[in-house]
Amino acid sequence: MLKINNLNATIDNKSILNGLSLDINPGQVHAIMGPNGSGKSTLSNILSGKKGYEVSGEVLFEEKDLLELETEERAHKGIFLAFQYPLEIPGVNTNIFLKTSLNAVRKARGEKELDAIEFLKLVKEKSKKLKFDEEKLNRQLNVGFSGGEKKKNEILQMSLLDPKLSILDETDSGLDIDALKVVADGVNTLRDKNNAFLIITHYQRLLDYIKPDFVHVLMNGKIVKSGGPDLALELEKKGYENFN
Amino acid sequence: MKEQLKKDFDNNIKNLNLSQKDIEIKKFCLDNFIEKGFPNRKEEDWKFSDLNQLIKNNIGELSFYNDHTSTNKVDTSVFVDGLEHNKIVFINGRIEKIDFEYEKKDQIEIIDQSETINEFKNSNSLSDLNNAFTNKCFKILVKKGYQLIKPLIIYHSINSKIWSKNINLRLNFELDKDSSLRLIDLFSDTSEKNFLNIFYNFELKENAVLKNYKVDKFENKNIKYSFNNIDQDKNSVSETFILSSGSKFFKNEINCNLNGEYSSAFVNGIFSLNNDKHHEIRTIINHLTKNTKSYQLIKSVLEESSKAVYQGKIFVNSDAQKTDGYQLSKAILLNKESEFNAKPELEIYADDVKCSHGSASGSLNEDSIFYLMSRGLNYQQSRELLINGFLLDVVEKITDSQIKNLIKNMIGIKE
Amino acid sequence: MNNRQKEIDNLKDYKYGFSTDIENIQAPKGLNEDVIKFISNIKNEPAWMLEFRLKAFDRFKVLKEPDWQKPKFPKIDYQDLYYYSAPKSMKDKPKSLDELDPKLLETYKKLGIPLQEQARLNGIAVDAVFDSVSVATTFKDELTKQGIIFCPISEAIQNHPQLVKKYLGSVIPTSDHFFATLNSAVFTDGSFVYIPEGIRCPMELSTYFRINASNTGQFERTLIIADKGSYVSYLEGCTAPMRDENQLHAANVELVALDDAEIKYSTVQNWYPGDKDGKGGIYNFVTKRGLCKGKNSKISWTQVETGSAITWKYPSCILKGDNSVGEFYSIAITNNHQKADTGTKMIHLGKNTKSKIISKGISAGSSDMTYRGLVDISSKAKNSNNYTQCDSLLMGNKCGAHTVPYIKNKNSESNIAHEATTSKISEEQLHYCQQRGLNPEEAVGLIVNGFCKEVLQQLPMEFAVEAQKLVGISLEGSVG
Repeated sequence: MLKINNLNATIDNKSILNGLSLDINPGQVHAIMGPNGSGKSTLSNILSGKKGYEVSGEVLFEEKDLLELETEERAHKGIFLAFQYPLEIPGVNTNIFLKTSLNAVRKARGEKELDAIEFLKLVKEKSKKLKFDEEKLNRQLNVGFSGGEKKKNEILQMSLLDPKLSILDETDSGLDIDALKVVADGVNTLRDKNNAFLIITHYQRLLDYIKPDFVHVLMNGKIVKSGGPDLALELEKKGYENFN
Repeated sequence: MKEQLKKDFDNNIKNLNLSQKDIEIKKFCLDNFIEKGFPNRKEEDWKFSDLNQLIKNNIGELSFYNDHTSTNKVDTSVFVDGLEHNKIVFINGRIEKIDFEYEKKDQIEIIDQSETINEFKNSNSLSDLNNAFTNKCFKILVKKGYQLIKPLIIYHSINSKIWSKNINLRLNFELDKDSSLRLIDLFSDTSEKNFLNIFYNFELKENAVLKNYKVDKFENKNIKYSFNNIDQDKNSVSETFILSSGSKFFKNEINCNLNGEYSSAFVNGIFSLNNDKHHEIRTIINHLTKNTKSYQLIKSVLEESSKAVYQGKIFVNSDAQKTDGYQLSKAILLNKESEFNAKPELEIYADDVKCSHGSASGSLNEDSIFYLMSRGLNYQQSRELLINGFLLDVVEKITDSQIKNLIKNMIGIKE
Repeated sequence: MNNRQKEIDNLKDYKYGFSTDIENIQAPKGLNEDVIKFISNIKNEPAWMLEFRLKAFDRFKVLKEPDWQKPKFPKIDYQDLYYYSAPKSMKDKPKSLDELDPKLLETYKKLGIPLQEQARLNGIAVDAVFDSVSVATTFKDELTKQGIIFCPISEAIQNHPQLVKKYLGSVIPTSDHFFATLNSAVFTDGSFVYIPEGIRCPMELSTYFRINASNTGQFERTLIIADKGSYVSYLEGCTAPMRDENQLHAANVELVALDDAEIKYSTVQNWYPGDKDGKGGIYNFVTKRGLCKGKNSKISWTQVETGSAITWKYPSCILKGDNSVGEFYSIAITNNHQKADTGTKMIHLGKNTKSKIISKGISAGSSDMTYRGLVDISSKAKNSNNYTQCDSLLMGNKCGAHTVPYIKNKNSESNIAHEATTSKISEEQLHYCQQRGLNPEEAVGLIVNGFCKEVLQQLPMEFAVEAQKLVGISLEGSVG
C-alpha cells in the first residue's frame, strides 16, 4: 500500500530524514518509535504533504507517486494524519468543518455527498462509539478543548473519513489512561484487513493497547532496527542509546 | 474651490426660507470651512486617510449645490425584502419619505430642526461644511417608554442624476427614558464620484437602547464620511455595527460620551475590502463617569490593494473609576498589496480601571490551511472556511437576531 | 519646617542632587555661528567637522520646535543657554586618571561611580561625561589590545577621523528633527565605540553623564559601531544636580550594527525630576536610533526612565539588513509632576526582520505618562513580525497613563501583534503583602518590581540592582 524508498528530507539546510525506507501493506499496524528529534514528526508531515521541506527519494501510495499530490488530494486518496497538536480554529464550527471535510472526501471518491440530516445521523453514531461529547460538535473547532478532547476529535474524524492509511503522530502524548483507552479502542475497531496504521510514538505505553505487527526504531532520520512487538518492550527497558 | 463654495452657498440659501440670523450662522460655518478646507494628513485624525487628496484624485472639482425643489422617484426595488420595517428615504440627500407605518403614531415625534446648528466635540471641518449646506434637518423623538416594534431602515441612495457633487445630510435622534430603537443605515448608489457627508446626533436618556447598524455593502465609487455622536445617560446602551465594504472610500466615526453611570457602548465592525478601496473606522469612547463599559471588536479581510484603517481611542477621565474598556482589532491581509493600519489608543486618568486593547494583523494561518487540506478540503474551500470563521464572531455580536441574519446573508456567512 | 530641614528633605528625595564647585570654561551664552565655531575651535576640530555642524545649524534655523507630543513645556529660549561648559582644569587634558582634578573624582564618588576602584572591581570600562566633556575613560589599555576603540568622541574625531566621518550622521542625519539637528550643530562630547570584526567585547562599556553647571544645555553625541560579527553591551547612566530652573538635555545616540553584529544598549536615566511641586528638573529630549545595517544584525534597547521633568525619547531600530532583529524594553516611572512621552519605532525594511517591544509604564502623583510607538512593516519586509506589549499601572487618580501605538502593516506575509493593558495595584495584593509584614511602600516596591520584571531581566547584573532600587525610590510617597 505504502512504499517508502530512500526518503531524504531537509529543512533550512538541516537534514532530518536520511534514507528512510518502509513498506506498509493492507491490514498491518506499524509502529515507529524514536527519541525527540529523530525525525518522527517530519515523516508524518511529509506523508501528509506539509510544505517547506526539501524532499528526495520515492514514496508510492497504491503504486502512485504520493509526493506529487497536494495535501487534500492525499486526503481524498485515503491518507489521514492524526496531528500531534490539532489546531484550534476559532470561528469555525466543528460540525460544519466535519461535514465539509467528509463531503469533499466522498465527492473525490465518487460517492454521494451527505445532506445535513444524513451527516448528523452518522456523526452522532460515531461520536457515541468513541464516547465523544456531542455537545462539543457545536463548538468552534478544537477551541477550548482539553488535550484529550482534541485527540478524541482527531479519532472521530478518522472514523468518519474511513481512511486507508492512518498516521497517528504521538497521539498518546498528554493523554490520561482513560482517554488513551478510548483512542486505542477507536483504532482497534477501525482496524481491518483493508486498511493500515502507522503509529508514531515516543513511548511504548500506547502499544499496550494497540498491538502492532511491526515495530521500527527511528534514529537520526533513518530506521536502524525493525522487529516484532517485542522490540518495543526491549526499547522501553534499554532506552534508545543502545541502538545508536 | 472657494469661489465654487460661495456661489453654491448663495444658490442654496435662495431656495431656503431662513431668517437673517440663520443665514449668518450658516455663513459663519461656511467661512470656517473655507478657512480649514477638507481634512488632510497633517491632522492627526486624518493621518492615514487624506480626504483632501482622496477627493482631488477621485472626484476632482466638487460642486456643492443640490437642487432640492423637485422630488425624486423612490425606487422601491432597493427596499429590503423579508423584514418588515419603517423607512426614511434619502435620495441625493433629499428626504423623500419618512414612514413609521408599523408604529404608534403618538409615540414618535418628528421635529423640524433645520435652523439649529450641531456642534460636536472631536469633530472637524466637515461638520462646518455640513452645517453650511444641509437644507433640512429633522429630529426623531421616541417618547418615554416606547420601544419601536419594527426596525427603521434609512435608505441612502445616490442616483445617476448627480455627478461630482457633495451631499450633506443630518439627522438627530432622541431616545427618551426606557425607549428603544433599532436602526439600519443602508447605502445604495447608482452614480459615482460624489462625496456624501453625514452627521447624526443621538441622545440616549436613562435606560434607552439604541441599536445602530451601518451597511455599506454595494459596490460603488463614491466617497463617504459619517459622523455619529452618541450621548448616553444612566443605564443606556448603544450598540453600533459597521459593515464597511462597498464604497471607494468610507470613513465612519463614532464618538460616544458615556455620561451616565452604568451606561455602555459597543462598537463592532467588519472591513471586507477589495480593489483599491480605502476605508477607515475611527472611534472615540469617552468614559466620563464611574461604572461605565465599552467594548470594541473590528475585523478586516483585505484583498488586492485595499487598505483599512482603524483608529480607536478609549478616554477615561479621573471621575470614571471602575471603567471597563476593551478594544480588539484583527486583520487578514490576503494580498501583498493590501495594507492595514491601526492606532489603538488609551488615554487614562483614573486608576481603578480595567482597560486593554489588542491588535493583530497578518496573513491567513498556513498551519490552519494545512490542517483543513489534510482533511480533504481544497485551498479555496479552506480559505473561505477560515475567513468565514474569522468574521463570524463579529457578526455574532449583533444582538438583534433578525438583523443579524440579514447581515449574514449579505456577507454570505454560513453558520 | 525650617529651611535647613527642607533642604535635607529635598536631598533625601533626590540623592544625586548636589553640585560641585569647579571652575568652568563657558562659551558665550546664546546660539549663533560664532558659538559653533568657538566650540569647534576649542576642540581643535578638522574642517569637515565644522562643516557638519554648520550644515546642521543651517537646517536648525528653519525648523520649528515641535509641539505634537503630549507633555507641553514652556518655550525654551535657545539664546539664553550656554552651549559649551567644560571644567577649566580639563583644558590641558590629564594623561591618566591620577592627574584628574581630585574634586572631579570626588564628584564621581558621590555619584557612586568611583572611576578607579569600583569600575575595576565590576569589570566595567567607564567613560565619564561631566557637563559636556568626557573626563576619563577607564580600561583603555585592555580594550586597545583587542582593537576596540572606546574613547570620548572628541578624541575619536582627532584619532579616527575615517570612522567618524563615515558613520557620524549616517543614522541621524544633520537634516533630522529639531532637537537632533540642534545636537548635530553644538554637540560637545560623548562616547565613541568601535568593535572590530569578530570581536566580542570582553566587558560592559559604560558612560556616566552628569550636568553640573547651571544654565547649561547638555548635548552629548554617542556613536557606536559594531563591525561584522562583533558584540558589545553598553550602559549609560545619568544624573544632574537639583536646580530651580529647567535644564535642557538633547543628546543624540547613533548605533550601527553590521552583518551578524549585536549591540545591547542599556540606560538608567535618573536626571533630576524637579521638586514635589514640579519646579526645576531636566528636559530630556534625546534622539536615539540604531541601524541594523547588515544581515543577521541585532540591536536591543533597554531603558529605565525614572528621572527628568519631561522625558521625550523614542529609541528606535531601523531593520534594514535581512534577518535583523530589533528589541525595545522599557520601564518608565513618573511621579509628582513629571511627564514622560516615550516609546520606540521599529521600521522593518529587510526580509525576515523581527522586533519585540515590551513597555511598562507606571504613573503616580500628578504625573503623566504616554507610550508612543510606531511599528511599520514595509511592503518589501517579507515574513517579518512584531510583538508589542504595553502595560500601564496607575497609582492614584491625579495621574494619567496613555498608550498611542501606530501600527502599519503593508506586507501580507508579515504579522504584527499588539497588546496593552492598564490596571492598578489591587487592594488584595497590597493587603496580602502587608499581612505578611511588609509596609505599604515595600509592598508597592515589590509589586511594581514584579510588574517590571520582564524588563529588569534584560539589564546587565550591575545595573539591574541599581534599577530595582531606583524603581522603589521613585515611587516613595506615592502610596497612602
